[in-house]
Amino acid sequence: MSEPSWLFQFPEMNKESLRALKKAFDVGYRDFSRAYGESIETFFEPLLTFLVWFEDVFTASPWWLVIAALAALAWFVSRNWKLVAGVTLAFLAIGYFGMWEDTMSTMAMITVCTILSIVIGLPVGILMARSDRLQAIITPALDVMQTMPSFVYLIPVVMLLGIGRVPGLLAVVIYAIPPIIRLTNLGIRLVDREVLEAADSFGADYWQRLFGVQIPLALPNIMAGINQTIMMALAMVVIASMIGVKGLGQPVLKAVTNQYFALGLFNGLAIVALAIVFDRMTQAYGQRLQSHRQISNE
Amino acid sequence: MIRRALSVTGIIFGLMAAWVSPVANAAECGRVTIADMNWASAELAAYVDKFILENGYGCKVELVPGDTMPTTVSMTEKAEPDIAPEIWMNSVRQVVNKSVKEGRLKIAGEILNDGGEEGWWVPKYMVDKHPELTTLEAVLKRPDLFPNPENKKRGAVYNCPSGWNCEIITSNLYKAFDVEKAGFDLIDTGSAAGLDGSIAKAYNRKEGWFGYYWAPTAILGKYDMVKLDMGVPHSSKEWDRCTGQGNCADPKKNDWTKSIVMTVTSGDFAKKSPEAFEYVSKRSWPNTVVNELLAYMDKNQAGGEEGAEKFLKSHEALWTKWVPADVAKKVKAAL
Repeated sequence: MSEPSWLFQFPEMNKESLRALKKAFDVGYRDFSRAYGESIETFFEPLLTFLVWFEDVFTASPWWLVIAALAALAWFVSRNWKLVAGVTLAFLAIGYFGMWEDTMSTMAMITVCTILSIVIGLPVGILMARSDRLQAIITPALDVMQTMPSFVYLIPVVMLLGIGRVPGLLAVVIYAIPPIIRLTNLGIRLVDREVLEAADSFGADYWQRLFGVQIPLALPNIMAGINQTIMMALAMVVIASMIGVKGLGQPVLKAVTNQYFALGLFNGLAIVALAIVFDRMTQAYGQRLQSHRQISNE
Repeated sequence: MIRRALSVTGIIFGLMAAWVSPVANAAECGRVTIADMNWASAELAAYVDKFILENGYGCKVELVPGDTMPTTVSMTEKAEPDIAPEIWMNSVRQVVNKSVKEGRLKIAGEILNDGGEEGWWVPKYMVDKHPELTTLEAVLKRPDLFPNPENKKRGAVYNCPSGWNCEIITSNLYKAFDVEKAGFDLIDTGSAAGLDGSIAKAYNRKEGWFGYYWAPTAILGKYDMVKLDMGVPHSSKEWDRCTGQGNCADPKKNDWTKSIVMTVTSGDFAKKSPEAFEYVSKRSWPNTVVNELLAYMDKNQAGGEEGAEKFLKSHEALWTKWVPADVAKKVKAAL
């Protein structure tokens, strides 16, 4: 064998110290999860109760009521009969092909994830728009959240919280929250300086300026952020089901391990249908907000 | 002039031949692909095979990530990869038997000569505290000791990951033993990672855990668990009729049997590389050795490659029986 030399072989850390380093991390984490796991779990308890309750609402409601509510929502956000018909048809098809319960579980999960993302993401985005320094700190954090392979943080979360909805929710939110933060930040930063100057000259204080001018003008961008957040949350459905979250992800996993092409396709299409429905609804709403603005501008 | 040119070319070719010699050797055995399954004991076997086939037989070995079902299907349909070192026959018996009959697959030999163990387990610390918990019957009386995290009023049975055959079996036995009426929910763990994570979490906090698992595995090497006595004997007839079948309407009580764990190759592999086939058909180890190595790998965060090296160094008496003397010499030289 050839002589090992730093020219041909990377002068890497010796195996023993590398192993010791990795072990130190693992043991440290294990001790942490032993010491604080229970209190962290208690902290998330209300969220779990809410998730279970919310899912029960979706799965226990009669199907026609859910479809009617969704159709009404579609009408409210778009005032467009085509969208209402599309939503109704999509859900009728999902139900007809026997995926109603899984779809409701997934929808409950996605709804909670989206609400949580908005509740956390919106203030963070607003803060980020205020301060360039904060933006410089948060942007790389968002990059990590979007690119770090989910399983890297899923397994530690499972060791801390067990399998099920809460770790699934955390995984989905981590992945899905960046767009809303980014686009809120962007939207507010894009508001015309002259408009702000006008608001200032009318004597608007900080909160009036924020809620009266910046957020309304940034709304189309924020809506685009919410739209992207929903899409990314749906994309995580399969990953979340790998740690025991109920919903459309489970049949997809089953299909993948068993080469059930049709099963995978049906459930995959149901996820796509959900995505399209939510996408069109949020987009229509965003557009309506914008057209409203254009009229008022005239 | 010409002669000199020739000799120069000769030297160049000689050098090239020396350079390329591993490839030249490989021509005898050829390119061999081995499925690197995503669980530790199979990964270990894949790396042991890789080391021995490469260094002892001069094959060019490539490891292909795999899992039981995708790999068997790919081997049946595409004859690729060539070798699946560890196939748990309980989960794919019918598919494999059918393909063997058609000549698309070939069973080389039993890799785990003690067989694998599957069943429902509870942690040892639970049994220490409640000594009666060694039978399924006793466990089913105490749902309060194994609470479902999402519904504390009920107990939980952690199922095998979605889509695995053991999921079907566990779900059928869940019905057969009336586990739902006993107050237990069946928890879908989603993936092997999810199942392992749930055990690790329970162990870290000494909480109740009750569910499906199998051995030899790193998890059962690391965490002491007790396999529950199901209270009924294994019936292979009932197993084939219902326990192992999805959508079976009337599952009856049944127990797992020792799992036969085989090395399976694609149908043509034996013809393509007879010596390599000969080796994989002889390669077989006891669970004690596998458990010891898995524990070593887990303790040292070692992958299959380091585990294989450790095995070849520490269990020479075992593996030298699998190969002819000259091959053994070559493998030893490479260690």
